[in-house]
Amino acid sequence: MVALANIGLIPRPVHPTGVWSWLTTVDHKRIGLLYGFTALAFSILGGIESLIIRAQLAAPNQSIVSPETYNSLFTMHGTTMVFMVVMPAGAAFFNYMVPLQIGARDVAFPRLNAFSYWVFLFGALLMNFSFFVGAFPDIGWFGYAPLTTNEYTTTGATDYWLLGLQVMGIGSLAAGFNFAVTILNLRAPGMTLMRMPLFTWMTLIVAFLLILAFPPLTIALTFLLFDRFFDMNFFNVSAGADPLLWQHLFWIFGHPEVYVLILPAMGIVSDVLPTFSRKPLFGYPMIVFAGIVIGFLGFGVWAHHMFTTGLGGWASAAFAGSTMVIAVPTGVKLFNWLGTMWGGSLRFKTPMLFAVGFIAMFLLGGLSGVMHAVVPVDTQQQDTYFIVAHFHYVLVGGSIFGLMAGLYYWWPKMTGRMLSERLGKWHFWLMFAGFNITFFPMHFLGVIGMPRRIYTYDADQGWAALNALVSAGSLVLTFSVLLLLVNLAISLRRGEKAGDNPWEAPSLEWATSSPPHHYNFAVVPTVRSRYPLWDEEANVVEPPPLPPHEEPHMPSPSYWPLMLAFSIVMLAVGLLIWQWHALIGIGFIVVMMVLGLRSIYGWVYEPPAVEAPAAVHAHT
Amino acid sequence: MATEHIEAHEESHPGPRQYVIIGIILVVITGIEVGLFYIEANAALIVWLLILSSLAKFLIVVGFFMHLKFDDRRFALLFFFPLLIMVSLVVVLMALFSTLTR
Amino acid sequence: MYFDTTVDPHRTSTGLNNRKMLMWAFLGSDVLFFGTLIATHLVYRGQSLVGHQEDIFSIPITSISTFVLLMSSLAMVLALSGIQRGNLQTMRLWIAVTAIFGAIFVGFQMFEFHEFVQEGLTPRTNLFGSTFFTMTGFHGAHVTIGVIWLWSLFFASFKWKAGTETALHVEIAGLYWHFVDIVWVVIFGIVYLVGAYGAEDRLLPPVSALGG
Ligand SMILES: [Cu+2]
Repeated sequence: MVALANIGLIPRPVHPTGVWSWLTTVDHKRIGLLYGFTALAFSILGGIESLIIRAQLAAPNQSIVSPETYNSLFTMHGTTMVFMVVMPAGAAFFNYMVPLQIGARDVAFPRLNAFSYWVFLFGALLMNFSFFVGAFPDIGWFGYAPLTTNEYTTTGATDYWLLGLQVMGIGSLAAGFNFAVTILNLRAPGMTLMRMPLFTWMTLIVAFLLILAFPPLTIALTFLLFDRFFDMNFFNVSAGADPLLWQHLFWIFGHPEVYVLILPAMGIVSDVLPTFSRKPLFGYPMIVFAGIVIGFLGFGVWAHHMFTTGLGGWASAAFAGSTMVIAVPTGVKLFNWLGTMWGGSLRFKTPMLFAVGFIAMFLLGGLSGVMHAVVPVDTQQQDTYFIVAHFHYVLVGGSIFGLMAGLYYWWPKMTGRMLSERLGKWHFWLMFAGFNITFFPMHFLGVIGMPRRIYTYDADQGWAALNALVSAGSLVLTFSVLLLLVNLAISLRRGEKAGDNPWEAPSLEWATSSPPHHYNFAVVPTVRSRYPLWDEEANVVEPPPLPPHEEPHMPSPSYWPLMLAFSIVMLAVGLLIWQWHALIGIGFIVVMMVLGLRSIYGWVYEPPAVEAPAAVHAHT
Repeated sequence: MATEHIEAHEESHPGPRQYVIIGIILVVITGIEVGLFYIEANAALIVWLLILSSLAKFLIVVGFFMHLKFDDRRFALLFFFPLLIMVSLVVVLMALFSTLTR
Repeated sequence: MYFDTTVDPHRTSTGLNNRKMLMWAFLGSDVLFFGTLIATHLVYRGQSLVGHQEDIFSIPITSISTFVLLMSSLAMVLALSGIQRGNLQTMRLWIAVTAIFGAIFVGFQMFEFHEFVQEGLTPRTNLFGSTFFTMTGFHGAHVTIGVIWLWSLFFASFKWKAGTETALHVEIAGLYWHFVDIVWVVIFGIVYLVGAYGAEDRLLPPVSALGG
């Protein structure tokens, strides 16, 4: 409102604390915390959705929820966990850690970074807002057209789904550009590409995947939007449209998206393992190279999600082949991780437990993935619980375990306090057990024929016992997550103080204080090796914090990222209003376009920092 | 100082005169394309000639107007890597939808 | 490793400018936006059941608008050349020419859309209408944004001093502008000319020539 009140020259906000300081922040660490907190909040929502699903399926012929509600539950569980939990959790870590790991004071475009977060948050809220106006989306997380066109949907919830996803995608694209430039351009002196910590490397690859994979999704969503709002024909089969077009475009995005979800976890594990094995990463260049190959090949395997659509022999064979090939670099990574631990002096702290758990669980998920490269096997397993088991091993046993390793590893850096090891170990073992009890039986359920996305089943189908076991497992899993929340709360209140480098880790983020000053490093470090804090321990004494007048000039907070993100999500809202009343909707859209344009001009013409010295501009 | 800089610049970068020549070349290629369009001949030949002439114009604009020929190779990588992926996707999609043989 | 107090905070690791790298990364991404649109148009080629398709194109008129856009690209590079020589007047002149040519191109497109609608082809008519209007409309939106950007630079430039910083503003806008131009080169070549070649013979669209 302050920003709207005076349209003239608006001074940059200067609040050091309070709500406005968070709304206008451009500090990568604060933005990282915002992403992390948001991911945690949505994980509770997505978790509750999955618990209702498990309650409904715990016994045959139950009717805890209606079939329609059940559809909404699995749709929103999937969409929430992919786009509002795992992606922002990865973003939380790469926002917070990447600038620290490369010895930078912030990202290349701090305001763009804030914009990424706000536009993501608004998109997520818009999608979930559909709950308050009637119905939750019920179309599956992949939203297959033509089933999502007006003809086949009964509620307007699909509009919220597609607009929410579209808006969130803008945030992902912006984050991709920002982190690609940051990692390439903002490395400390001496930090060559091949000296970067693996987490930073994997973030770089993820950044390019976001840049390249989101456009096809954005265009596919635009087609669907035009079909639904303006009666166009992209998915209108009676006008000659191909019912597979959406599937192709969605999975061209969808498979790289899987790597967007898993590569940050792989990066975390590749940083955690050397630290707790006290030994350099085995085959560092091979892991980097494998990551690049995975990112590249990820664009050539999408049709393995479509083997049962009748692609034809040659096409199926080609995509089966590329899918088998992409398993090779993944296997290379697994052996490198084992090689890292081999002969190391292992310390099984909680981060290490999760990292090792990641290796084992991701291996299982990877192996069941390769099975789907075999077309006849895939045909047998398509749309059964075997697939559900497979991708939960990849996304929970893989991504979430990796992210948990990261949380336990970096929490002391982010808060300055240690987490309880005792609670942490309980958390790990309960989560490990609960996860396997929940998802391992699903393999069997799939093979004996239980289809996905059915809201109930009969007692005589022979699925009851395993389903009861699965539902029991989900309770154990839930309990373990509660232990995590307790652990976090205790740590914040009275956790043991963490020093600068509690794990004796080798990378730059541990060279500054915990939590770091807002300017990260009092002076910019110069790097001479891949493991600077191990190789030159004697030189690593972070100078004392700078007195206020000597602090480096950091970019000032700004209203405009928030305003621009707001105007963009309101454009989407304008489309929804348009459906209800054309004139009001168009008027609303015009107003929001003006606000958006105003925000862009405000953004471009505001000074880079409050009372920044003129010399600062010279080189930017 | 300033003039020295400009002279050094001139050696590697085209100047206005070269830009105008490049512009004329682009117009000529476009003229040839439109001419080809009105020729009744082997369809395959004409189609391939049209594709190649578009490619030529594309590379001339990218190379000279966007300076990629003279600029840092890493910029070229940022642009041509996505282009490679996209061209492959277009060809594969056309093959999958049987557009090429229809 | 040691802590160095002498590092210039504005130096980049690659020596490449942040904003220019951002623009190139964006253009790489935009390749996939336009590529997906063009791919969809191509795979739906000849699949429409009713209404006009490529036969509706007026190649002479589109050739003129293509010429206008090519010339705007020439004007753009002359503007950059001007400011790199420290001549703000030259730059301003050519920026204005670029923006005007861009606006003329958009005018041609609006005329074309209007004509098509008059002849009974709308985005709702058939597959061709949906893919064609969306693809070229997306391109037209890019040109429009470019025109707004160029006029913004034009008016902002009265407060400028010629130098590497201001030249970079023009260079980055130029990269965007030329990219929009090459997208049109592809659309004109592949969608218009290849698409419409032999359009009267609807049974055998010439793209089949590619597959032998
Ligand atoms: Cu896949």
